[in-house]
Amino acid sequence: MADADASPPQAGEPISEQEALGRLRQTSDPSQQYYGAWWLGRMRSQHPEAVPLLQGALRLRRPRDTGAGVEENAVARNAARALGKLAPAALCAIPDLLDTLEDPDDGLREAAARALGELQAPEAVAALCRRLSSGPEVAGGQRSDSPRLVEPCEALLEALGDIGVATPEVLAVVEPFTSHSRPIIRSAAARTLLQLSGDARWSAVLVELLDHPQLQVRRAALMDLGAAGWRPALEPIGRTLAENSLKLMALRGLVEQGQGDPGIPQLLACMDSLL
Amino acid sequence: MSAAAMPMSCPPTAELIAAVQRADSSQGLLLATQALAACPDPAAASTLVEVLGFNNPGAAVAAVDGLIGLGPGAVDALLQLDPENYGARAWAVRALAGIGDVRGLELLVDALGTDVAASVRRAAAKGLGALRLGDLEPARQAAIQARCLKALLAATADGEWVVRYAVVVGLEGLAKTSPLDPAAHGALKAGLQRLQVVSAENPTVVQLRAQLALDHLSPP
Repeated sequence: MADADASPPQAGEPISEQEALGRLRQTSDPSQQYYGAWWLGRMRSQHPEAVPLLQGALRLRRPRDTGAGVEENAVARNAARALGKLAPAALCAIPDLLDTLEDPDDGLREAAARALGELQAPEAVAALCRRLSSGPEVAGGQRSDSPRLVEPCEALLEALGDIGVATPEVLAVVEPFTSHSRPIIRSAAARTLLQLSGDARWSAVLVELLDHPQLQVRRAALMDLGAAGWRPALEPIGRTLAENSLKLMALRGLVEQGQGDPGIPQLLACMDSLL
Repeated sequence: MSAAAMPMSCPPTAELIAAVQRADSSQGLLLATQALAACPDPAAASTLVEVLGFNNPGAAVAAVDGLIGLGPGAVDALLQLDPENYGARAWAVRALAGIGDVRGLELLVDALGTDVAASVRRAAAKGLGALRLGDLEPARQAAIQARCLKALLAATADGEWVVRYAVVVGLEGLAKTSPLDPAAHGALKAGLQRLQVVSAENPTVVQLRAQLALDHLSPP
């Protein structure tokens, strides 16, 4: 599933790259830094100052203080997300992101995991696996103080799939999550196993979730089939009860990430019918 | 369509309309709208258009299907929609795009150029390539094609890939409706070629669809 809240806090006037860099550089107004970081990622800035400024913003994170709210770390979260979109320049920030993966704030760990996945950083595999190794009961258990899980499992699992290191050790860490109590986590695990192994039994898990009673789960399964590029799912994707926008994104994934049958003409014909 | 031609299973339209107006739950509205949408009677159109403004996506999807099924008979009701009712307007664009009646031209051009929602711009782009021009005199056909072409070419620079994808489909459809003059044909081809270009900002799926459209493009 894609990152849901990586959008600017307010609709602003279009700004220039220099303006975005300036907003991130100043430190008196965090909301301006937040917007500047978002802009640099969204526009895939190639400016030589972008990555160093984002690395600096990532280091501004603070210990989680529930009284003050997690928003303290909003700038660092957006900096991590932006770095994920700035390959290859951001490859030098992988050590910073690995460091962030150990932060007490699970929202920051989530953003760091997604960025490491987008940067396809093989050096992150060991740390991602370690975070997940206690399995669906512990790492995937619900926190006592919120409905969130102990670890940001969805992001950690999907990062492993995006990085694509398919060793037996990685598969063994991911597989138990296909029986997690939450369908979104089962979907993420099946997607990763499908990406890593190409084994059709994991696609069956995802196709079954396309019929789940909750729209949110059907949407996640659509995005996960798209990310895995699993073309045999064309027909079930077409009849899923969800917005055409989501189906079109999934079918784009089948076109761009997938191979084999059904072929590109059939995939494009289905996309045409959903416009 | 006359009452006699309706399927035996379809109750009188007035009853189906009353059921929509009586519905007091989200699920009830959905079911009543689906029943009304299945009824091929133009008298259903204004009630189906009303449903577009009820902020019930399931019912709106059913209403759009019903309005497209009614075809040109639904256009007057769609064009009478309050332009300030933003949610309803988005659904109306989809219905007009599906119907292909030239009376929807201005609304589709406006939606493609100005709507904030990519899903609405996407539907408008496809609709501008699917207007039914066959019954019009040649000069009027050419004028409408020129409006559609101009709007679609402007939208080749849309920031959302899915809108550019729909622009490709719209341009391909426009080239098929009736022959374009050589200048228009050249401009249309150049628009498709812009969307076929390999670049970091233009996803592969848009490039592939533009290539397919160029392959289908007949000579002027």
